[in-house]
Amino acid sequence: NGVAVLPAPQNLSVHSTNMKHLLTWSPVILPGEMTFYSVEYQGEYESLYTSHVWIPSSSCSPTNGSECDITDDITATVPYNLRVRTTRDSQTSAWSTLEHPFNRNSTVLMPPRMEVTKDGFHLVLELEDLGPQFEFLVVYWRREPGAKEHAKVVRRGGIPVHLETMDAGAAYCVKAQALVKTIGRHSAFSQAKCVEVQGESLPL
Amino acid sequence: SLKRCLISVDMRFIEKSFQGIKRELQAKDTFQNVTVLSILESPKNIKPADVCCVTKHLLTFYRDRVFQDHQESSPQIVRKISSIANSFLYMQKTLHQCQEQRWCHCSQEATNATRTVHDNYDQLDVHSAALKSLGELDIFLAWIDKNHQETSA
Repeated sequence: NGVAVLPAPQNLSVHSTNMKHLLTWSPVILPGEMTFYSVEYQGEYESLYTSHVWIPSSSCSPTNGSECDITDDITATVPYNLRVRTTRDSQTSAWSTLEHPFNRNSTVLMPPRMEVTKDGFHLVLELEDLGPQFEFLVVYWRREPGAKEHAKVVRRGGIPVHLETMDAGAAYCVKAQALVKTIGRHSAFSQAKCVEVQGESLPL
Repeated sequence: SLKRCLISVDMRFIEKSFQGIKRELQAKDTFQNVTVLSILESPKNIKPADVCCVTKHLLTFYRDRVFQDHQESSPQIVRKISSIANSFLYMQKTLHQCQEQRWCHCSQEATNATRTVHDNYDQLDVHSAALKSLGELDIFLAWIDKNHQETSA
């Protein structure tokens, strides 16, 4: 009946950066036709209360690559079990299960990319759009001895934000960090970027 | 306030998950004259001091009864319910970790309020009751949203 004839995928692991989660495994090399894989997941709820229930991944059941974007499947900050098997026609391999459950609170948070520009005397910032789960803490200051730092929370990336009306001849610097409330964590601050009302963007 | 406890819970995402399956669930509900969560529909039924306890009890109600009693064949609905169930599990853990014991005292009224939900549930056969309770998630989510923003420490 075609059960467990094919070799099962090996070396499952999850790579997660900025709340994008990618499940990868070693490809199964077989002669002849293309090999497919099926990915399934189980949240902590299922593993605790309905352990027989496994849910097909929304984007990789089936898939022919050796990776799967599971971002849309991992929708709560709880541990998720993940498993993959090889399929070809009616044949399937045994399931390979990720050794340790994955929790999105382990994602690597990178400092956000940003564009600091001036519109006349206006200091304008545009942050990278990292998706709806991200907010940003922006810190900016006038580059002079003893300058006071100003802070502002920006709710969404991808749209220009006016920070300050600048004085002629002064230079202003900006840095930002990404915040993810659903996992209660933030990234490191980005490198500061500075502009001068008359000059171009100056490196620190 | 309790809102601080649930600050890391993405209520908007949970509501969006439910909106995606609400019509299908409610269309299959054949007992329109019964409301399992009727206790939540009138603000005066539950005092602010009981909000935390009732929230915890209803999260347990969904965890231990509704999500387990419901049989679902549609993969899309299974996925959305899983998302909500795991978010509720996280919410329970967050409430628990939030040193709730000081505020989360369970009065007799809070226990009685939760009892009416179970009594309404038990009036129906288990599959109809689970389906109806899933269809009423918008009542529960609106109640959480409203009460966990207005409650002050």
